[in-house]
Amino acid sequence: MSDVAANVISSIENLNRNYICALDSLSMQAWLDCFSRRGTYTFIAEENERRGFPIAFMLDDCYERLQDRVTQVDEIQDDSTEHYTTRHFTQLTSIVPLGENTFHANYNFSIYYTQKDNNQTKILCVGRYQDIIAIDQETALFVQRKAVTDTNVLPRYIAYPV
Amino acid sequence: MSATDKTEALLEWPAKYNEVPKAVFEMDELWPKELETIFYGAEWHPIVHRAEIPNPGDYKAAELGEMPIFAVHGEDGAIRVFQNTCTHRGTSLVTESAGNKKEFECPYHRWLFNLEGDLIGCPNSRDFTPGFNKDNFALPQLRTEEFYGLFFVTMSDKTPPLKEYLGESFYEPLSRILGGDGRLKLIGYQKVLYDCNWKAYCDNDGYHAPLLHKAFALLNWQGGKGTQIVTENGHLAFQSELKMSDQVNALKDASIIDFKGTSTSTGSLVLMSFPLTVFSKHMDMLNVRYAFPKGPKGIEVHYAYFSHQDDDEEMVKHRIRQSSNLLGPCGLISMEDAAIFSRIDKGNKTPGNASFQKGVKDEYQLDLQVGQNDESGNLPRWEHYRKRMGFRRASS
Ligand code: FES
Ligand SMILES: [Fe+2]
Repeated sequence: MSDVAANVISSIENLNRNYICALDSLSMQAWLDCFSRRGTYTFIAEENERRGFPIAFMLDDCYERLQDRVTQVDEIQDDSTEHYTTRHFTQLTSIVPLGENTFHANYNFSIYYTQKDNNQTKILCVGRYQDIIAIDQETALFVQRKAVTDTNVLPRYIAYPV
Repeated sequence: MSATDKTEALLEWPAKYNEVPKAVFEMDELWPKELETIFYGAEWHPIVHRAEIPNPGDYKAAELGEMPIFAVHGEDGAIRVFQNTCTHRGTSLVTESAGNKKEFECPYHRWLFNLEGDLIGCPNSRDFTPGFNKDNFALPQLRTEEFYGLFFVTMSDKTPPLKEYLGESFYEPLSRILGGDGRLKLIGYQKVLYDCNWKAYCDNDGYHAPLLHKAFALLNWQGGKGTQIVTENGHLAFQSELKMSDQVNALKDASIIDFKGTSTSTGSLVLMSFPLTVFSKHMDMLNVRYAFPKGPKGIEVHYAYFSHQDDDEEMVKHRIRQSSNLLGPCGLISMEDAAIFSRIDKGNKTPGNASFQKGVKDEYQLDLQVGQNDESGNLPRWEHYRKRMGFRRASS
């Protein structure tokens, strides 16, 4: 990563920070704002990823799907879900330039959740983000954010993107 | 008192057939008896589809009750299910959830088993007991039967043949969920732990009233005509017409709920075999939900999704998009179900009975005739469970 310019690293870190803050405050519009118009979001089990199986927990492969994800969280699943709040902890592990102001970045993540009905905190899942990020001026946006979870058996159903 | 008598005394069943004691979800003491009479009893349990282990050497680990087992695709093309234990001192043989091996070697004293379960090597055997014979130490194999590539196991030799056990009202729609000919391809899994007793899961997954689903209203879905058929031994088959609206304003990308298959007359199939496995075909999603109780509390559900071998690329892609977004522990449609499992479990820590209403004509009689949206379809399963557990029904 030593060959990556400091302003590139800071743009990418800003994007990631916006992303995790959006989810921890459950602001789905702010989550959507992290993606480029070409953006995709995938949340998939490591087991499927490793074995070449495409089934994901969430698969938003176009911008319209990302918008529908916002609708799903904000409007559809409200009354039946046992809501929880999250804290995302991430660690940047690599940035590789792909040319044309596009970068491949990897983060580790661990996510804790606190369920509202019992106020207990547990681990939701642990894994890595595999990102493709486009930087325009100083602003970075996800062309791809793919969350691959080592937690192949989720500890509960997951209501919001991770 | 035998263990059996003790369990019987634990709980008296209400006189009314439409009532289920809430305690049945909460009493940990019931689990040993459930293992004995249901999971190790005369019932069939689906474990693996051939599409999940398509090549010789492919294996998949699973559990039956508390017993670790694994299914292996043999050199001869046959699929066998073994107890996951070395026949020497009992070390578990496979430790991954799935994989491919040429043979199974126990790490402890290096006993070696082939894909057919035979013991083919054991170092230093000249020092073993005088009568030692490798043939007596093959891996213990479970009784299996196959239906359209799906393998069921049972611990009992009294379980009737599989087709008889399922009945035509169940196996006919099941054949359609299995692609019509069983020629499926695995496209992946979603796995989750639900925080509830296994019976709270099976009582509420599968088919239930569409009232729960806010998504249905938003997507402008009306239920089509359909049927619900239940069997005396607790299986349930629900079929309904698929009525899609062309106007879906709630979604920007409505292609996710397209139906590309052919027959809309039976567009939705939801089956549940006793005690707890759900099979479903909604739109173009072919799904088997293997379910593994973790003792009396918690149930792990493995949603396995399939495409058909004859699908073109576009169809496979569609199935992947649909399955990844609509079903499972994060799906638009079934997350609402998931929420109910644990909320039911919480609510059941209160005294009294759960009361089934819709479709119940006579509280004092078990009725196998149930309408499409009737919750009475759950009652034959409860009656079968009650009998298996030996609970006495209170006199009315
Ligand atoms: S326990 Fe397996 S070889 Fe001894
Ligand atoms: Fe449902």
